[in-house]
Amino acid sequence: MSKSLPTPLEGVFRRVPGVRWRQQAERHLRVELSEAENLPALLALLKGEAGYRHLSAISCVDWPDADEFELVYHLDSYTTQVLISAHIRLPAAPGRYVSVSGLYRPAGFFERDIHEMFGVQFEGALDLRPFILTEWGGPPPMRKSFDTEGYVRDHYQWVDYGPEWLAELEKRGGGIVE
Amino acid sequence: MHPDHYRHTELPPSTEYELYFGPNHPGIEGNYALKARLAGDTVVALEADGGYLHRGFEKLMEQRLWIQNIALVPRICVPDPVPMEETYARAVETLGGLEVPERAQWLRMLVLEMSRLTAHLFYFGGHAATVGLYTNMFWGVSDRDRLLDCFEQLTGARVYHMYITPGGVRRDTPPGFLDSLSEVLDYVEGRLPKFDDLFFDNAVLVRRATGTGTMDQAFAIDYGVTGPNLRATGLAHDLRRDYPYLKYAEVEFDVITETAGDAYARTLVRRGEVIESLRILRQVIDKLRSVPGPIRCPLPNPLAWRIPAGDAYTRTESSKGELAYYIVSDGSAKPWRVHVRGPSQMHAVQTLEALCVGARIEDVAQIMFSLDACPPEVDR
Amino acid sequence: MPDYPIYRDPPEQCRTPDAEERSLWGRTLERIADHCRARSLFVLHYCTGCGAIELPPSMTSRFDLERVGMQPMVTPRQADLLLITGYLSVKTLKRVILTYEQMQGPKYVMGFGSCTINGGMYWNSYATVKRLDQYLPVDMYIAGCMPRPEAIQQAFLQLMEKIDSGRAQNWKEYYRRYDHYLGEQQALFGEQFHTPTDVIGEARHYSLFGPETLGEHTAKLAKYDLYHPGQGAVDALEVKR
Repeated sequence: MSKSLPTPLEGVFRRVPGVRWRQQAERHLRVELSEAENLPALLALLKGEAGYRHLSAISCVDWPDADEFELVYHLDSYTTQVLISAHIRLPAAPGRYVSVSGLYRPAGFFERDIHEMFGVQFEGALDLRPFILTEWGGPPPMRKSFDTEGYVRDHYQWVDYGPEWLAELEKRGGGIVE
Repeated sequence: MHPDHYRHTELPPSTEYELYFGPNHPGIEGNYALKARLAGDTVVALEADGGYLHRGFEKLMEQRLWIQNIALVPRICVPDPVPMEETYARAVETLGGLEVPERAQWLRMLVLEMSRLTAHLFYFGGHAATVGLYTNMFWGVSDRDRLLDCFEQLTGARVYHMYITPGGVRRDTPPGFLDSLSEVLDYVEGRLPKFDDLFFDNAVLVRRATGTGTMDQAFAIDYGVTGPNLRATGLAHDLRRDYPYLKYAEVEFDVITETAGDAYARTLVRRGEVIESLRILRQVIDKLRSVPGPIRCPLPNPLAWRIPAGDAYTRTESSKGELAYYIVSDGSAKPWRVHVRGPSQMHAVQTLEALCVGARIEDVAQIMFSLDACPPEVDR
Repeated sequence: MPDYPIYRDPPEQCRTPDAEERSLWGRTLERIADHCRARSLFVLHYCTGCGAIELPPSMTSRFDLERVGMQPMVTPRQADLLLITGYLSVKTLKRVILTYEQMQGPKYVMGFGSCTINGGMYWNSYATVKRLDQYLPVDMYIAGCMPRPEAIQQAFLQLMEKIDSGRAQNWKEYYRRYDHYLGEQQALFGEQFHTPTDVIGEARHYSLFGPETLGEHTAKLAKYDLYHPGQGAVDALEVKR
């Protein structure tokens, strides 16, 4: 499986415990860490030894069935040119993790965003004040438990639009299928 | 004489004051606000304040079918909507294992490069307006309109085309389209020397943009700067060349770089990219004249279309930089999670805040425009 | 069916005109003024949403709105027309209300695109306001997502005609029914919402005090003691018309 793995990556992955990786697409590696706390070490090694100087994004995924948040760190190198997506899982309660903004400055924005949208706490983050939702009083809206349609029904009014042709279409089973 | 209700307050003596810049301000690109701390007219600190354009796209996309989201994605970045469609469509294709027919790939490149042209022409106008060159704004906008007419011919819409669908494109070129597009491209190329006279070689621009908002390469990499802004610091990184998607590996183009890293260099990079886009477009037009074939692969019933579980991270070089979508599917008819990584998320917040420190207040708008920061991308 | 119509009839029908307005002289002057107003509309330069991308083409060489006397204007105090170019997030709406109150009468509001009419494609978004006319009196809507420059021009011409014929009087509604609008705003932003603008004082100044200018919602403003400190806010709010 390691047939196409560039040499600096091979060494990095061997030195961090609990790393599993596979080729997800052409020049795109999917890395999974069984222990979330090993991620900063992995990132530091990637940045220091494999030239991964660009943090493309941090994505957060809510998995309410497992009561977990998944954080995905997408990293790119201007020299190796293999994209790496590093996946970790955090328990939804308390939903805390360490900030990597000391290593990668762009993490400051993404952590602020994830804190705002999912309510995940990042220790040592640059700035966790609200940015987008400064006038928002509700729960973190990107969580699966937040029902946007219900919120809209409670807070806004709109004129219902129910023409006959639409009612007929719905009667015939048209429209959205679940 | 004070009014009756005047209340005098004692404040500690200070030479600094705060100035709210936007959201209702013509020097701000879009609906965005900056809170500047000034000493005289020099910026001491700057704080970005976004969220005015927040629509909760990522949440909305979880509520809609895979096919319905095609209508939603272009609205995330208004001046340059096509890369949004392309990135979303490519992520869905990766997840669903769809094969895009060759002709559709060329058609997608056509609209992508046309969109880059429109965005750059709009940018020329916007940047010129921030240094007081309003004629150029009129020129940029009206030349962009010729390309929008081509878009209308091809897709039926001026701004939000919704042309790229997962698996291909919505329709083929109408008769005579490639010829009329070639004419417009020739026209745009013929305009560039005039833009040089009016804008790029204009002493006002050269003197105001040189040395404004300068960043070096290390800073740019540190702050996650991508796209033309990164190339203006001398690093030749372009996803079209380094991670080629569609048929970019089969066309010839140069990656334009500059070394100064200031507002003027960023504008020059974009000027070079207009020429390269024209070059790519001409090659694509040649290909489209000869490559036959279907324009999309067969899709299942879009109302009951389930995408296999998995995740995909796709990236596109938009006119502003690296645009990426992270899409997770749980195997149902709707996406489980969509994360939009717009290039402006890096440019309009931390980078802008850092670059404006020490700049003069009249240059803040110029720095923001020269980064081509697009607020709707930040807010989503 | 909706509880109330989206488009309101001209408000003249439902109130008694005051003496000044009844006089032929006043009406003639107003008629001439309206005729002039319709021909030099200054549009506030505020891009609240994505519809703003079609404004540069409308304003510049190709469609050239200046030939009908329209120009972008940078400050609300000198603008006549507030364009709500697309969806309004809650955060923007607050600024828009402030901006609107700063504009001097007569002022006109135009809603751009389907999202200002009934939510449009953001109908289930938690962040955007669905109906603009709940919070501000709107004179005209342009449907579409997004409206083309031709549609924008057509709408502007219709608005000009409406102003010219004296039918664009919705801004007076805001003063006459301030309590209603403030109530809607407070329902969205919270009980403590208020703007620094003295709308009630302005209503008195323009002789636009209506039965709904004051009410239970404006009563909540009393405690802020905004406009007449020391005079006793409750007194100030209960000045007779």
